[in-house]
Amino acid sequence: MTDTVGITALIPPELVYACRHRPLDVNNVVPTSSINPRSKLCAWTAVWRDEIMEGGLDIDSLVVVAGGDCHNALVDGQKVALSGVPTHYFFYPFDRDPDYMASQLDGLAGFLGGIKNKEMFRTISGLKEKGLALDQLRVDDRARASDVFSALISFGDLQGDPAAFEEVLDTIPHTDVEYSSRVALIGVPPIYPDFHEVAESFGLHVVYDELPYEFVRLGGNDLQALAGSYRNYSFSGPITGRIEMIRQELDRRRVDGVIHYTQFACHHTLEDEIFRAHLDYPILTVQGDLPRSSSEQLKLRLEAFSEMLEVMP
Amino acid sequence: MNTGLDVGSTTAKIVRLESGIITASKVVPSHRWKELLEYGNKRDTIETIVSTGYFRRTVPHTAAITEITAASLGVRYYIPDAQVIVDVGGQDTKVIDLRNNTFLINDKCSAGTGAFLELAAHYFDIPVESLGKLHTRARRCALINNTCGVFAISEMISQLVGGYTMEEVICGIHQAFARRIAQMIPPVETLVLIGGTVLNTGIVESFESIHSSTVVVPPSPQTVNALGAALYGKKLRPEI
Repeated sequence: MTDTVGITALIPPELVYACRHRPLDVNNVVPTSSINPRSKLCAWTAVWRDEIMEGGLDIDSLVVVAGGDCHNALVDGQKVALSGVPTHYFFYPFDRDPDYMASQLDGLAGFLGGIKNKEMFRTISGLKEKGLALDQLRVDDRARASDVFSALISFGDLQGDPAAFEEVLDTIPHTDVEYSSRVALIGVPPIYPDFHEVAESFGLHVVYDELPYEFVRLGGNDLQALAGSYRNYSFSGPITGRIEMIRQELDRRRVDGVIHYTQFACHHTLEDEIFRAHLDYPILTVQGDLPRSSSEQLKLRLEAFSEMLEVMP
Repeated sequence: MNTGLDVGSTTAKIVRLESGIITASKVVPSHRWKELLEYGNKRDTIETIVSTGYFRRTVPHTAAITEITAASLGVRYYIPDAQVIVDVGGQDTKVIDLRNNTFLINDKCSAGTGAFLELAAHYFDIPVESLGKLHTRARRCALINNTCGVFAISEMISQLVGGYTMEEVICGIHQAFARRIAQMIPPVETLVLIGGTVLNTGIVESFESIHSSTVVVPPSPQTVNALGAALYGKKLRPEI
């Protein structure tokens, strides 16, 4: 029997499938959720917490990712655990220690009942190749950023069915994209479900989504390869590594400006000053709180940023 | 003729340009913006209207631009080498750094917007336009913390109870206002202040007292964005 395993942030989905379970990224329900959290710092974690505890998310167990990636998830995950959901805590090594990473993957595999289908590693590697090709397609102005973002963000759980997900990937339309400026989106994903569409409406072509790119960038065909790859998950390590990688991607993707999305009450918000000091690009910082459609205030910022990149000397 | 129409949350402004020269400008409350279209209009000339402000898309326009672009263009008309602009609006405040094309908008907290001053004036039951004059009569400034506009009223009352005069409390309000906005301002030698709020000399004085930058207020700071919109129209159609 296949159990559904809720995941609160990136863990190797290939490992969950190899253990004959189905991952469900609990964040994917947040942008369209109507829940008004009872108590919260960050709405991302508070909404999935309440969705699970109020029965809105049908999961058999939960894997909580913390240790640099998301501090709030640790507490909200424990609240879920106390409500009776079998819960496992997964930590990334801040010092990139491969042995620690391997031990975390071993522990996760143990929680999931052990690896039973090694073929899934290779299957999902193949899908990630497709994801990377799709990512390159929008860099080459041959696919809409909103379509590519939707696909890449789903690589956290492959929508619970790798075969069906491959068909979804194959239907992403290829089209020539017209725009006024190329921008990168760094930080946690926006809690606004229409963010990319709104950016597009103002002529901003998002050619880099930092976090979803991590989802397709990391992988491996066995547990050891996964440990070597996932220990470099940028969000969980020192910010110097992120800065270096972002710089490379901004250059490679020929961006004109950077949008840094920050989530209210998220520790990653404090990184904004660091990015502004170390990235030599016009930067727009936008902050979201509760999930809802893009506000007029956000639209004003995106429109003004587009104008600045296009009109100003 | 190039017309700039800036219809903001509180006031509507118009600036008309002919051959790059300002021929008319006027300010009215926002709900009376239609009056502006008649003002200084020569019906026999070709007109380009560029709108800006909250209502930019709901008023007649040939093109619409955001207040950020309008402010940048308008300020450069007077101060070509301007670096940082602070545009204090009725409902938000914008800080624009022209050196690297970045901007910040505070619209989540009233403490750094014109609404904060309206609140203070309302408490004393005086017109908001009189705050600047009253500020000059203060012999000292009461300390008001720069946290939240609503809680600042409680602090004002505490300071009045403690023996400060209305004028001294107003001075404190202006300084709290400037401190709140200062958190958004990057290091810079010269700061350009625009927006109707900076017609209040108490505000300008407070910026000067708490900020190490030289503070510059261009002529007619309230209509700078309308001017910027008109200048954008001239960019679009240089022939008129």
